[in-house]
Amino acid sequence: MAFAPRGPEASFFQVLDQHRASLLAALRKGGGEPAGGGTRLATSSEVLAAIENVIQDIITSLARNEAPAFTIDNRSSWENIKFEDSVGLHMVSHCTTRKIKSDSPKSVKTFALILKILSMIYKLVQSNTYATKRDIYYTDSQLFGNQTVVDNIINDISCMLKVPRRSLHILSTSKGLIAGDLRYIEEDGTKVNCACATAVAVPSNIQGIQNLITDAKFLLIVEKDATFQRLLDDSFCTKMSPCIMVTGKGAPDLNTRLLVKKLWDTFHIPIFTLVDADPHGIEIMCIYKYGSMAMSFEAHNLTVPAIRWLGLLPSDIKRLNIPKGTLIPLTKQDQMKLDSVLKRPYITCQPFWRKEMEIMADSKMKAEIQALTFLSSDYLSRVYLPNKLKFGGWI
Amino acid sequence: MEGTAVAVCEILKYLIIHWRCETARISKGALLEGELVISIEALNSKHQANTLHCVTTIASAGSIFGGLVLKKILKEIQSILPGLSAELSWTSEETSYSQDVSGVTPFQMIFEVHEKPRTLMTDSLVIKNFLRKVITVLPKIRFNFSVKVNGILSMEIFGAENEPTLNLSNGIALVVNHQHYVSTPKFGATELLCSRIHPVLGHPVMLFIPDDVAKMGLLGELILTPAAALCPCPKVFSNQLNRISSASIFLYGPSGLPLILLNPEQPTSTIFKDTSYFINWKKHHLCMVPNLDFNLDRDLVLPDVSYQVESSEGDQTQNMDPQGQTLLLFLFVDFHSGFPVQKMELWGVHTLLTTHLSAILTESHSVVQDSIQVAVDQALEQHHHAVKAHQKLQASLSVAVNSIMSIMTGSTSSSFRKTCLQTLQAADTQEFGTKLHKSFHEITQNRFLHHCSREVKQQLLPEKNNAEQSTEDAHENSSLELLAGTSGQVENKSLKRGSLRQGVEETRAFRSPRALNPSEAALGRAEPTAAPLTPSRNRTGPRSGLEDALWLQEISNLSEWLSPGSAS
Repeated sequence: MAFAPRGPEASFFQVLDQHRASLLAALRKGGGEPAGGGTRLATSSEVLAAIENVIQDIITSLARNEAPAFTIDNRSSWENIKFEDSVGLHMVSHCTTRKIKSDSPKSVKTFALILKILSMIYKLVQSNTYATKRDIYYTDSQLFGNQTVVDNIINDISCMLKVPRRSLHILSTSKGLIAGDLRYIEEDGTKVNCACATAVAVPSNIQGIQNLITDAKFLLIVEKDATFQRLLDDSFCTKMSPCIMVTGKGAPDLNTRLLVKKLWDTFHIPIFTLVDADPHGIEIMCIYKYGSMAMSFEAHNLTVPAIRWLGLLPSDIKRLNIPKGTLIPLTKQDQMKLDSVLKRPYITCQPFWRKEMEIMADSKMKAEIQALTFLSSDYLSRVYLPNKLKFGGWI
Repeated sequence: MEGTAVAVCEILKYLIIHWRCETARISKGALLEGELVISIEALNSKHQANTLHCVTTIASAGSIFGGLVLKKILKEIQSILPGLSAELSWTSEETSYSQDVSGVTPFQMIFEVHEKPRTLMTDSLVIKNFLRKVITVLPKIRFNFSVKVNGILSMEIFGAENEPTLNLSNGIALVVNHQHYVSTPKFGATELLCSRIHPVLGHPVMLFIPDDVAKMGLLGELILTPAAALCPCPKVFSNQLNRISSASIFLYGPSGLPLILLNPEQPTSTIFKDTSYFINWKKHHLCMVPNLDFNLDRDLVLPDVSYQVESSEGDQTQNMDPQGQTLLLFLFVDFHSGFPVQKMELWGVHTLLTTHLSAILTESHSVVQDSIQVAVDQALEQHHHAVKAHQKLQASLSVAVNSIMSIMTGSTSSSFRKTCLQTLQAADTQEFGTKLHKSFHEITQNRFLHHCSREVKQQLLPEKNNAEQSTEDAHENSSLELLAGTSGQVENKSLKRGSLRQGVEETRAFRSPRALNPSEAALGRAEPTAAPLTPSRNRTGPRSGLEDALWLQEISNLSEWLSPGSAS
């Protein structure tokens, strides 16, 4: 049976249970989940009304012989983003804006494309159908030019209307995978059981997931698909049962982040990250934990500040005597990214993370998780992770 | 033919050359300023049937011809008009004046001829065309031209002193008001928008003189500077203006005097009969054929050479299509020598150019062709850019309108639909769509006008310490601040009025990046053949007020249309 407990003894999870208890205590102390200050789920009629208001404003401007314009928050400007320990990176309430004008040669096309996508969203919401960003792009790829244009406009619309993307009936294509002790029912009634030999794709409609069931003691976020597959091959989920594993295959897409957030909100189980000991891996971890600049306007729905860094820590490299031949020198881009991460506001409240990054900066070397295979082929799943989990080796 | 028209034009040319030489001694490069009165009084001849006895008076209003030695002048003029079958007389201040030309001082010149009425009519048109051509480059000279035939008087004043100009070198300035070059009624409502042409200067080239011409005693250099412009302004678009339909060439010699006296009996310089001798039209997908319409009776500056675009199918009907833009090409030939140029020397150069223009241009075919081609390419590039920009705009507006219509017509909210219709005062969705499109179109057209005015202002920017411009700067900057609008960042924060250098650099960037660029030469480098661009402080009356007011609302740079770049 999928749910027959084949994991370690209960005592193995003692430290994990204590950690979970401390997390729950912190939550209670903090008054529960932080109040959503950004986007909120909106009903279909609210979305339609919001779009109609936008159109009315445009028509009113035209009637006054004024050039209509959209006022868009500058989502990707650090001056509009602040850090809170309980939320992560999120947009300030009074942020700077830019105008997308209909009478400016530089922005008239964007103005038109925003209207185009608004009209498409209007139709989707009216008909209660969904489309992905890719679908939107392919409705007229020549008009849009490239996918990035569509993605940015959709995010701008979400930010402008103060409505999450999923309320716009636009889904993002999921690339993430889940495995382990988790069952749920998708919006269309499909029953999903993630405890199978192969992983399950993260669903497109996280909002529609119902009846989530798990006994997992922890959730492990794995940076790379290669590592995820390796752990699957090593039957990690069975050996460490009950647990859940998720990978975003690199920088996580929105649905993977939403899923992680949903699992945290629903179960409050400890969440750990397993990333390479390099600046890129650290940044990916920070996205899960504190959010990204681009999606800061939806931070309250996406970030999980309770995430802990399990490995690969730079200090592990020396501690485990990982052969130097397996290490890779930091490139110039690595150095710049490391410096950038060290300057981010959330690092100040993570002294242990800072220390690890300083170790990396001093050694000027990085290591992939795969470096552990030089100790033994299954060192990661047989020794490293179990010890880390059993003895609280997270920061 | 040495009739009235030739006589008047030659005398005027002589006087202007004299005037130029006198003025150059005091202030080199200054624009000639003053008024000349030409009146023709014709009465039926008592001795010949169907003939008019014409008395032509040329006089100055005001003391503009100081230092004239009257007898010498008369002698020189008589020498340049050997075929004039009439006697020139000169009156000084003491002699009587015609009552029709009151206030004329201090000189006037009179000659009499006998002409057929039809000849007089043609002569009048020739003279008018000449005057129009002169004021196009010597805008501060005003001509008062009257013809009285058997007591019936018609009078016309030619002048452009309050019109916007582009200062060229050596005391001439090109009037940039498009009404001189194209009749506005054919463009309908667009006449209310940018009324200026935006000339692009080609690089000056020295002309090679054929040996037989050089033997005539030309001691100096002839420099040709082309200027090309599309008319009307290519950035102000209507559906009528999406093609080039014709080209007009204007030839000017030293002192800004027309080289050719346009006359139905005088053929166009043969060198221009081959439309592609100097200009490669094919690279712009144009097929030009000579336009042989010599109708003088038009209230425009008539070109010396006229081409029209032939469609690929050779459809003559389309050839007659008056719509579309005209490429204006001005060829300015100036004379430079190491010494102050004397009046008769300049006259000689003018005569030489008039009679040997084809030979000189043929001798210099390669350099002339290069220079003209660059200017034409840049001017037509404006057109291509404007077409693309217009197409881009139209496409975007179409998307915007269709999207709004899609939401409006698809909405199940009757209050929303009703509000939309009421706001635009539309009876139904079809009318709503029409009004929506029209509204967007009008707003963007106003935007183009703002840019046009701004760009011309940049071309005509004075020196930094010019008081008048400082006032305009202050006015504009305060308006820009008022219009800066939203809190925080504004998308167009790169818009600053900037210094003369910035405005000039924008103008430079708008033109060719060639090293030997007359704009660059004109912008302060020590080039002996080009004077710095200086502003014309003249503005046309009521229309400039509207354009300036609209321009002051400008908050973004339309030159971005001309460079690729994705929107933010």
